[in-house]
Amino acid sequence: MDGIHDLGGKQGFGPINVTEPTEPFHEEWEARVWGISCSTGAPGITIDWWRYIREMTIPEDYLTRPYLDSWSESDMVTLVDSNICTVEELATGKSNTPRLEDANNITVDQALEANRMSSRRFDRPSNADPKYIVGNDVVTCQFTSTGHTRLPAYVRGKPGKVYAYHGAHLLPDAGAKGEEIAEHLYTIAFNACDLWPEAHDSNDIIFVDLWESYFDN
Amino acid sequence: MTTFDEKKAVEIHQALHSHLPSEPALRVKALESLLIEKGLTTSETIDAWIEAYSEEIGPKRGALIIARSWVDPEFKKRLMADAAKAIEEFGFEGKATGHLKAVENTDKIHNLVVCTLCSCYPFSILGIAPTWYKTAAYRSRAVRDPRGVLNEFGVMLNDDIKVCVWDSTAELRYLVVPQRPSGTDNLNEKELAELVTRNSMIGTDRDLNSQAKVKS
Repeated sequence: MDGIHDLGGKQGFGPINVTEPTEPFHEEWEARVWGISCSTGAPGITIDWWRYIREMTIPEDYLTRPYLDSWSESDMVTLVDSNICTVEELATGKSNTPRLEDANNITVDQALEANRMSSRRFDRPSNADPKYIVGNDVVTCQFTSTGHTRLPAYVRGKPGKVYAYHGAHLLPDAGAKGEEIAEHLYTIAFNACDLWPEAHDSNDIIFVDLWESYFDN
Repeated sequence: MTTFDEKKAVEIHQALHSHLPSEPALRVKALESLLIEKGLTTSETIDAWIEAYSEEIGPKRGALIIARSWVDPEFKKRLMADAAKAIEEFGFEGKATGHLKAVENTDKIHNLVVCTLCSCYPFSILGIAPTWYKTAAYRSRAVRDPRGVLNEFGVMLNDDIKVCVWDSTAELRYLVVPQRPSGTDNLNEKELAELVTRNSMIGTDRDLNSQAKVKS
């Protein structure tokens, strides 16, 4: 979707706060959000559907609320969508239904092991041959899905070169609908001078990972 | 089960916007109380995850990987060929590292990592992403004005150094391999790891020589 999340190349933002403390969490509630997010979740969601929900955040909230707060709100949407709780319960913090299960406590060592086991792969077998090889020229589409997509606006309708091929990976546009489609994935090198008028004499390169259906040629 | 219904998701966002308290701490407190009351998690479990990501899982893991790549050429080869596999030698695999790629700085190349569409980050080796990495300012400008962004972080690049920006749009995650500081031949792997900054593994830091001077 052409949402507020698609920030690459948008102007008017900055400067960056480079003096941020190095601690992982700056507020107690940020730490709680992380712990909650790691230990709970709506069953059956895909990473793409979750990202799409995040993209559908009310635009002014997306830009103004603290990041992990807005992130947590997306988790809440998945809980309500899956009938795990209601908006009213989230507002009051009190459950309207009897407890159906009991969660187990885990230790730090168990959390570390659960983290280690959570590494996931997104490549899948494909019967189709890849259409491109490293070094090929490509032109990206001007339009992709109206829903979730991972072709950023700033590289649409642009020329690029295949830098690397990664096999077939699950296509996010389909994953956001709960479908599994494996499609060839490439890293595309874009010259900064092909993307930005002010970069006409730049040699800098922007690498973007893109699926085969994101190309026109 | 989840519905994959985008209209419904928009309506829930709007309802939450209207009915939840504005203060993040209050929203999160209510969320935690509710999930615990429903038996979906516990305070102790939340504490355990926080401690795991405060004490163990963080940039010191990435630093150990970088330091080994500086002292062990065979490990460096494995890291550059398949970083996702190479970090298993440390047991550091986990959240968002299933398709990890290492990209190496040289005298002529500087690498910078961003996620313009959300905030993808290799959690299991770098921990919680810094807030600046998730801001509109960084995400919008890293791909359009990378040298300006680097200047704000105190990194001044000569024109003959090419900037390579990596926008994490798929499930690939990028780890920048910074250059080993000069004059560190006498340091062991553990001492070298102490020189590696988090920002140098994202690409918003480059010259670790000043770190080396502080330590020596």
